[in-house]
Amino acid sequence: MKALAIGFLIAIVLAALAPLPTRYDRQFRDSPNARPSRQFPLGTDDLGRDRLSRLIYGTRVSLLLASAAALLSCVTAAALGGVAGLAGGIADEVIVGVADLFLSLPWLFLLLMVRACLPLNVSPTISVAITFLLLGALGWAAPARVVRAAVRKFNNADFMLQARATGCPTSKLLWRHLMPNAMPILWAQLWITIPAYVLAETTLGMLGLGVMEPLPSWGNLLRELEGGGIAGHPWLLAPALLLAAVVGSFQAIFEREDYSV
Amino acid sequence: MFGAADRHVVFRQIARIAALVLAAGLACAFLVRYAPGTMVDERELDRRLSEESIRELRSKKAQNSDVWANLRHYLGGLTRGDLGYSQSNNAPIAALIADRAPETLRELAIGLTGGWLLGLALAIPKRGWGFSALAGLLLSLPIAVIAYLCLLEGAGSYLVLVIVLAPRIFRFARNLLVQAYSALHIEMARARGVTEAKILMAHVLPAITPQLLALAAASVTMAIGATIPIEAICDVPGLGRLAWNAAMARDLPLLVNLTMLVAVATTVTMAVSEKVSPR
Repeated sequence: MKALAIGFLIAIVLAALAPLPTRYDRQFRDSPNARPSRQFPLGTDDLGRDRLSRLIYGTRVSLLLASAAALLSCVTAAALGGVAGLAGGIADEVIVGVADLFLSLPWLFLLLMVRACLPLNVSPTISVAITFLLLGALGWAAPARVVRAAVRKFNNADFMLQARATGCPTSKLLWRHLMPNAMPILWAQLWITIPAYVLAETTLGMLGLGVMEPLPSWGNLLRELEGGGIAGHPWLLAPALLLAAVVGSFQAIFEREDYSV
Repeated sequence: MFGAADRHVVFRQIARIAALVLAAGLACAFLVRYAPGTMVDERELDRRLSEESIRELRSKKAQNSDVWANLRHYLGGLTRGDLGYSQSNNAPIAALIADRAPETLRELAIGLTGGWLLGLALAIPKRGWGFSALAGLLLSLPIAVIAYLCLLEGAGSYLVLVIVLAPRIFRFARNLLVQAYSALHIEMARARGVTEAKILMAHVLPAITPQLLALAAASVTMAIGATIPIEAICDVPGLGRLAWNAAMARDLPLLVNLTMLVAVATTVTMAVSEKVSPR
């Protein structure tokens, strides 16, 4: 199952990087709202743009954005969680207190509140940057607590005590002993965070606070569902199905336990 | 009985919750105050307004811009039950919350009860892979998509919350049950002819109750978070929609109150969960 999920994700990434049939923002003004055909396998939208090209480009944007934001979160979590776990004392209390503050609000509530405070009428590129920074900056708290707990455990482990007893310098302790042990935990956090951010970006996009038009992303592509009419136009569900398959594959590879929304 | 050590723990917990809630409100206030465009009032562009009216608008805006002064004023009002005034809704905040809370509380009560009943009912019997696959599919979809699909089928916001929560509870409870059923004493009980119902009630459920209680607290937080997109999409006049509108209109007093309300609900639930199921 895991091998199948990994294979599917690799195929999706390769497909997302493939050349587009047409530009994602090119308008075929003589055929708006066209049904699927050989020229437009998923039809066209209200503005006559090819849905397949937009889906491919949107997949690229959403996956890249979520992965980059997850990386930013995990790097921040590693730095802050590592400092809290190693230093202890006031540094630990301050970092844990701030993490608690972030965790005292539901993730979506926090995300929507902060996003709504930032400029809404911005260019598509800036909207991507805002969404990326928002997800990356707000999602560090939960992974940081995991990293802190792990670092504290490793810091008191026998191999660390022995290394200290033999006079191992601090830098070598960190890079040769602590980091290699903490890396699997960080990878796991990264792997868990990517699908969570894909879902968060989609929700923001569907509420009009994510990536702005004309740049496509899964979030703004799914806004087409607002108009209804899925019964007569089932191809509108293509982004939702692709999203479910991608997130499901991530979850099949590394199962989450909290399933927070 | 309730000893001095217990009182100390409870006092520390209450102090921690109060500090977290205040910090959340303060962070929210600073965020909105320094958000781009907060000090701009589009009414100033109205050419019918006189210089004096515009000066008055600016002075009112300037009064609202001092976060610390507002916080002091707010805390003073809080002791008298006055939560302030919402400019975007043109109504007192206490009245707005009292008006919208019943709808959200009803939604949360039905959603949580339904989600738990459905999630546990599907997790307890040993079923095939069908429910796991369905739960996996629902966990892979954003809440907004589930809300749209339910809306198109004519389902209400209560059902959306049930559908959002049930797979999370199902997946977690199923994992716990699989672990609990694989214990050696369960094998022994089966070998001695103990009925499955008795095994469940006497051996399995007591073993997983602490984890289920922890999940219960987490599910409340999940449900509160889910109400915003659900109410925004399903057009439900509850607190989630109020929060959404306040965020879009940058209604600082209303946002701070709602943030503190949500922070109180979340931290108290987590504290109770930690108390009843210490990990």
